[in-house]
Amino acid sequence: MRALIAAATGLALAFALVLAISALGRPSGRTSPEPLLTTVPAHP
Amino acid sequence: MRRTASLVLLACAVCCAALAPLLRWYAFPRLARVPAHQYQAMVLEARDATLLDYGTMRAKKVPKVTIVQTLKGNVEAARRIERTAGRPVVVWDSLSYVQGPDGKMVSKVPERYIFDAHGQDPVHATGEMVDGDPVRREGIEFKWPFLTRKRDYAYFDAQTRTTSPIHYRGTRTFRGLTVYRFEQTVPWTKVRMPKTMPVRGITPETVAGTGTTRWYSTVRRFWVEPVTGAPVYGEEIHREELRGGTLLGGRAKVTAFAGHVKMREDYIAHTVALVKHNRTLVLALTSYAPRGSLGLGLPLLALSLWLEARARRPRGPAPARPEEPAPVSA
Repeated sequence: MRALIAAATGLALAFALVLAISALGRPSGRTSPEPLLTTVPAHP
Repeated sequence: MRRTASLVLLACAVCCAALAPLLRWYAFPRLARVPAHQYQAMVLEARDATLLDYGTMRAKKVPKVTIVQTLKGNVEAARRIERTAGRPVVVWDSLSYVQGPDGKMVSKVPERYIFDAHGQDPVHATGEMVDGDPVRREGIEFKWPFLTRKRDYAYFDAQTRTTSPIHYRGTRTFRGLTVYRFEQTVPWTKVRMPKTMPVRGITPETVAGTGTTRWYSTVRRFWVEPVTGAPVYGEEIHREELRGGTLLGGRAKVTAFAGHVKMREDYIAHTVALVKHNRTLVLALTSYAPRGSLGLGLPLLALSLWLEARARRPRGPAPARPEEPAPVSA
């Protein structure tokens, strides 16, 4: 019984960890103020 | 004490083993996404190209034609579309600006490309367009999906506004990266005149009035890094002709543009460096972390079982204690 509880705790921990990481996601940021280019840039 | 340690190890082992599939199939699709705010420019050049001189309406050889392609993520439009699409969306406003050897504009074609941030599938929403014309894209454009496979993909061609297969042509190494080569051939197709013409006063309507039509053919090749799905090199054998009508003075056709368009060297180096960095991040989610956690989970489980077995092992008989003499009652 104690082994089962330990395994369930481990599983719950894994789910919590992955859910937390996924919830952080990627920052969506803001639209760049840079214009669409109509000149040839020198370097990237 | 041993039993407690084995239970803690068991919990850690299950946690690690569960992390492997969760990272690969739950976290990866949610974390590996094209950023909505990405701003990226690309410069391509066609050396010794043929270009139409609109003054004489004759084709002439020019030393260089430059194409500047900008992709700008429109975050506000992406958020608006996400509300109805119900999935993460990226909106790219792009501009393909073609410049002649004298620095003057040859053509400029804006596009709006809307796609799923992870899977790269096109998302259809108001505003999707090429050169102001509403389109409904099928297939991919500019970028391949993460974990690109060795198969043909449907690729959208902005000039013809149609989708056709882009074929997998093999694997090779390009500047230290394993890449898949893809190639698409667009046969001669009648296409629309660009909305913005290089000569002031000439509009697509006035050209159409002369009966002259624009035809286009291309062979495009991409070297795609398969983990990120990002092209690290691209080239195009691009040909455009004007055919028929009074504009050509009795000639059947005239070349409007012909050239072998290739990515500029500094942009290749920049793209390769960027893709190498992003590739490591994607591999961390799809390979390094899942395999590492699984590799850690198995020894932890073995250790836990071993400790548990030792704790359960029956102990030998206790050493006999010398008997105390019984009290003697007199």
